[in-house]
Amino acid sequence: MRLDRLPPAQAERYGALECPDFTTTPWVEGPPLAARRIAIVSSAGLVRRGERPFRGREADYRVIPATTPANELLCSHISINFDRTGFQEDWNVVFPLDRLNELVAMGAIGSVAANHYSFMGATDPAEMENAAREVAGNLRRDGVDGVILPPV
Amino acid sequence: MSALGHLIEEEGIATVAIALVRPQAERTRPPRALWVPFELGRPFGPPSDPAFQTGVIRAALGLLESGAGPVLLTDFPADDPRETPDPGWRPPIEAGAYRDGEAEALADAVQAELWELASAYAASCTARGRSTVGLSTLAPAACGEYVAAWLRGTSTGNAPPSPVPDLSPILCLRFAIDDLKAYALEAALAGGGSPSSRQLGDWLWNETATGAAIHELRRRLVAGEDERAKQIAGMFLVPALRLAG
Repeated sequence: MRLDRLPPAQAERYGALECPDFTTTPWVEGPPLAARRIAIVSSAGLVRRGERPFRGREADYRVIPATTPANELLCSHISINFDRTGFQEDWNVVFPLDRLNELVAMGAIGSVAANHYSFMGATDPAEMENAAREVAGNLRRDGVDGVILPPV
Repeated sequence: MSALGHLIEEEGIATVAIALVRPQAERTRPPRALWVPFELGRPFGPPSDPAFQTGVIRAALGLLESGAGPVLLTDFPADDPRETPDPGWRPPIEAGAYRDGEAEALADAVQAELWELASAYAASCTARGRSTVGLSTLAPAACGEYVAAWLRGTSTGNAPPSPVPDLSPILCLRFAIDDLKAYALEAALAGGGSPSSRQLGDWLWNETATGAAIHELRRRLVAGEDERAKQIAGMFLVPALRLAG
């Protein structure tokens, strides 16, 4: 988002949003992309149709199997102040599973994870820590060695 | 989200975050992040543009192969071409004229509009192979009935009972309104073209009974006595950009 194109007061609010203060700088390397297994961990509050939507700033997560059809994925993020029409037209705007599968077919990445994950991005990150570490364990067991983290 | 990058990388898996708000990424300092200049809600840029989206993903994943960290923040160079309005796009129905304060008339109008939009919505679902309507679990017509019941109930101060066992009335209203917005906006995609989000939003909020009804409900609930309804209606029905003043 280009803050310089927003009204000044709005740009200032986004620029001043509270952020967690991490003391560590973790850094993990890995094989070339063509050999990596990639997962999406979204903070868009995505749920599968019929699943309990996120109702507030909840710290848990939802599992999105790679076999999930596009028609089964809904966005339950509590904020209404972001565009949803992009996701409505094309789920890859938020959850680019088709694009990742194409990259596998091209040989640009090794494989796509069996499961992807979604959190509610408006939640305090400190409250999400246990769930995030649990998701990391699930990803490790799936052989994932590269994660892309899209917000909304 | 940048914070998740820290936590997952600490557990031994390489991550790359997409950052929509650059100052947040600068302060959170995830291991790797790609700032993109796109509007909120579009981390991979324009819909229905696979080549552009793939460019964003490749730029992000490419950071996984860079040895220039820890803490690597780079910028994606291109803007989203879909932020430019499409002068050829046309809404699926003619603009209506709705007046504030007429809850009964809006209750009728919002239900009638659902039927007016039905063929466009069906065509849009067929073309896209999907729909994002469904958070409330109610069918669109039932969402319209429930929103209309709330509009009528605000005159008497009575909230209609929730038709979904797991949801309180106000939470059911919130999700039913989410579904009505999605229904109308998906119908608006039926005519093809490449409308910007601003064009679609201008149509929904300025020209439809659905938009007028949601505004009216918000006004009434925010002015009411129920604190929970005030809070939910105040925050979760009408985007800040669409509130007058």
